This record gives sequence, structure tokens and C-alpha cells, in this order.
Amino acid sequence: MATNAAHVQAGLTSARNAGATRDALRAIAAWSVAGLVLLLVYRIDTQFARFWAFGLAFGLVLQRGRFCFASAFRDLFLLGHGRNMKGVLLGLAIASIGFAIVMARQVPFLDSGFLPPTANVLPVGMHTVLGALLFGVGMVVAGGCVSGSLYRMGEGYAASWVAFGGLMVGLLAARFNWNWWWETSISRSPLIWLPNSLGHAGALVVTLLALGAVFVAVLWIERRAGMVVPAARPADEMSNSVADDLRSLGRTVFVRGWPILIAGAALGGLNVLLFTSQEPWGFTGEVGRWSGELAAMLGATPPIPLGVGELPGCVFVPSDGSLANHMTFMVGGMWAGSFAGALGAGEFKLRFPAQPVRYVQSASGGVLMGYGSGIAMGCTIGAFFSSIPSLAINGWVFAVFLGVGAWIGTLIIRRIA
Amino acid sequence: MAKTLDVRGEICPYPMMRTVSELKKLTAGEQTLEVVTDHAPALDTIPTQAARLGFATAIEEVGGSEWRLVLTRKENAS
Repeated sequence: MATNAAHVQAGLTSARNAGATRDALRAIAAWSVAGLVLLLVYRIDTQFARFWAFGLAFGLVLQRGRFCFASAFRDLFLLGHGRNMKGVLLGLAIASIGFAIVMARQVPFLDSGFLPPTANVLPVGMHTVLGALLFGVGMVVAGGCVSGSLYRMGEGYAASWVAFGGLMVGLLAARFNWNWWWETSISRSPLIWLPNSLGHAGALVVTLLALGAVFVAVLWIERRAGMVVPAARPADEMSNSVADDLRSLGRTVFVRGWPILIAGAALGGLNVLLFTSQEPWGFTGEVGRWSGELAAMLGATPPIPLGVGELPGCVFVPSDGSLANHMTFMVGGMWAGSFAGALGAGEFKLRFPAQPVRYVQSASGGVLMGYGSGIAMGCTIGAFFSSIPSLAINGWVFAVFLGVGAWIGTLIIRRIA
Repeated sequence: MAKTLDVRGEICPYPMMRTVSELKKLTAGEQTLEVVTDHAPALDTIPTQAARLGFATAIEEVGGSEWRLVLTRKENAS
């Protein structure tokens, strides 16, 4: 009997190893293609190549970490679970430190009145509030924010493709309304950069303290809801050889999910590198450009957006006739990186929603996200994950109303379970 | 006899939400719920939700990006 059990176990193990080998080969193929693209693009434009590489890295970390900003907010309200939010907070803290150092070099004399040229310091006003509310509702209803949807598109979730379509529609609508928002709110709203009133170090300290306070609040929410247990893992078999040890290590890195704090720290660190290299992470402005180009092709060219030349962040990138720019490669890289990561983990699977109502949720949630990020000039990345580290008030205002919107969103999704 | 909940194809956060509501519906005599999912984030959230309701979680990799979570009522559940 014991021998039979051992045989069965050996059979399962070798089947599992065969599957892992197949996944590894597929991943190697995908990464080779990604690397080839990198080399080819490098010859055309080194900036494009750099953004492709960053995109690959962001996409991989999002996929391996199962990192979603939408669930960071939503799970706090829905499940009393703070895992993803803790990862977000660590990423914000690391990015804030890095951004503060870079910005201190960019604007050494604070009484000059200059703002750091590429940081996401955006006008804060009603457009920020409403944009964040709409985005918060939309991201929960759609089942993921923009970065979450991008990485899940790479994993094969059909619903995320639908959400992305909705996102493009919402961004287009915001583009048609942009000039009204510019005149009514955006052009009249202040840009509040904390170092101007607190100094470089003071602004960073206040930001970190505020993030720390949020962290404590998350712990309190979790305790009130009950205990917290670590994520369970499938039972590992005995490691009997060096080969087994290596396979187990391979599984930990390439198959099992990464600890959320490592993923959050990596995203924060990558954002600092990207900011140092060029500008903070963010891509809804670029996706809005795609919407505009597509609409123009169909005969409905959106009006030229006022004021965008002076604003950083994910403002609408006006069409300049070019097919692709550096941000196009960033978004493409994110798809490719999450796709390759999913292949390696055996997590690529074409997933179609079980119920038709989910398509409606994804589409309508996407539209809300698109309109919200259009008028707020960024999504959970551009207006939040890159704005708070820019030591700008707009990031905090966006965050608060994002939370309110997410809470409203949880009320809605409970009803359509 | 274990009850089974198949949430494959569900978008976030329904795998977790539906698991929680099924667990709450189990009668005192039903000790086990098996959840089949293809949604990786569920592996991170379901164990805590199950523990709060008095269930221990064991995860089996079915392959092809599918997992079976076996939630068993703990002996001295409150």
C-alpha cells in the first residue's frame, strides 16, 4: 500500500515538473521575444527602449505580486483585509523618499517659486474630487483599476479587455469635455506642492507620518474585522536533492505569488528610477491619446485640449500624428511583462466571465474610470501612486475621494453578486 | 460530504465574496467547503476570511491556473 502511495506521489510530482518545464520554456520564449523587441527598438530610439524595459518590469511585478490598487481600497471595506493596502503604503513611502531627493536637486531654492518640472503636481479642485469619486466607483465595479486591468489583460482575463475598452470610451468622453473642465475648474485651481510651505525635508517627514497614520488605521480595520492569517500555500513536497531545492526556489520566484511588501517596494523603487530617468509612472494620458486617434479616424476628432502643454501627469497627450511615443512602449511593455510572467507561472488562461452581467460591470466600470482619470489627470498611478510621492496635495485629495468612491462601489457590487 | 463551490470565470472580488457567503450558509453538520477557482488573488484573501469564520484552508494546485481550496471547519470554532 505504501508503495502504491509513493508511486502515485512520484507520478504527480513528475507531472507537475513536466508542467513546470513547459511553463519555463514558454516563458523563456516570451522573454526572448521581449528582449529582441528591446534590441530592435533601441536602434530606433533609446527612450522608447528604456520605456519598454520599464514597462516589462512594472508588468512583471504587478503580475507576480497580484498587485491591484483597486483591491487595496476595496478589500478594506469589503473584507476588512489590508494586505494590498499595506503594499501600496510601502510603495508610496519608498517612492516619496526617492522623489523627494530628486526634487530637492531639481528645485534647490524654494523661494524661487518654481515647481519640479516633471513631478505630478497638478491643480487640485472639483475635477480632482469628482474624478476620484468616479474612478473609485468604476474600479471596484470593473473588478480592477487601470494597472490591475492591464496586468490581467496579459493573464488572459477577457473582462479586463472589456474594461480597457470602457476606459478608452470614458477617456474620449472626458476629452470632449476637457475644455469645459479647464475653464471651469482646472485653470482656476491651485497647485500645492508641500515643500513650498514645509521645506524639502519637512514635506517628506509629514508625508511619511501621514502614510504611517494610514498604516495604523489599516491595522485597526483588520483587527476590528477579526484575525489575519498569512496566505496559505500549497503543501510542498519533501526536497530530496539539490535539483529539488532549485526547483523549489524556482517555484517561489516564478510560480508562487510574491509577498505583497516586496511587490510594493519594487513598484515604489521602479517609480523612483523612472522619475529619475524621465517622469513618474502614469499612462492614462497616453491611452486617452489612443482614444482620440481612433475617434479621429472615425471622423469625430476631439477638440484641441487647452492648457495641456503646461501640465505634467497624465494630461491628454495631444495627437501629433505619430503612431507611437515612449508611453506607448511603456503600456506595451506592461502587457508583455505580465504575459511573460503569467506564462512562467502557468497562470495564463483565457478567462471568460461566468455571468453576462460581469461584462456590463467591466464595461461600465471602465467608462467611469476613463472619465474620472481624464478629468483628474491620472488614475491610481498618475494621480495617486505618483502624486503623493511628488509631495503634492492633489495626490492626497485624490486618495481620500478614491476611498469614498471605492466604498460606494462596494455597496454596488454587493447588490449584483 | 463536501459542498463544492465553482467560481471559475468570476472576476474580482466575486471568488472571495461568494466563498464567504457560502461559508456562512453552511449548517453545523457541514464540515467542509471545496472552492474551485482560477483567480490567483483569491489565494491571498480567502484564508483570512475563512479563518475568521472558523475554517482552516488547504490549497491544492490543480494545474492550468486552477486551484482547489479545501476549507475545513476547525474543531474548536467559536
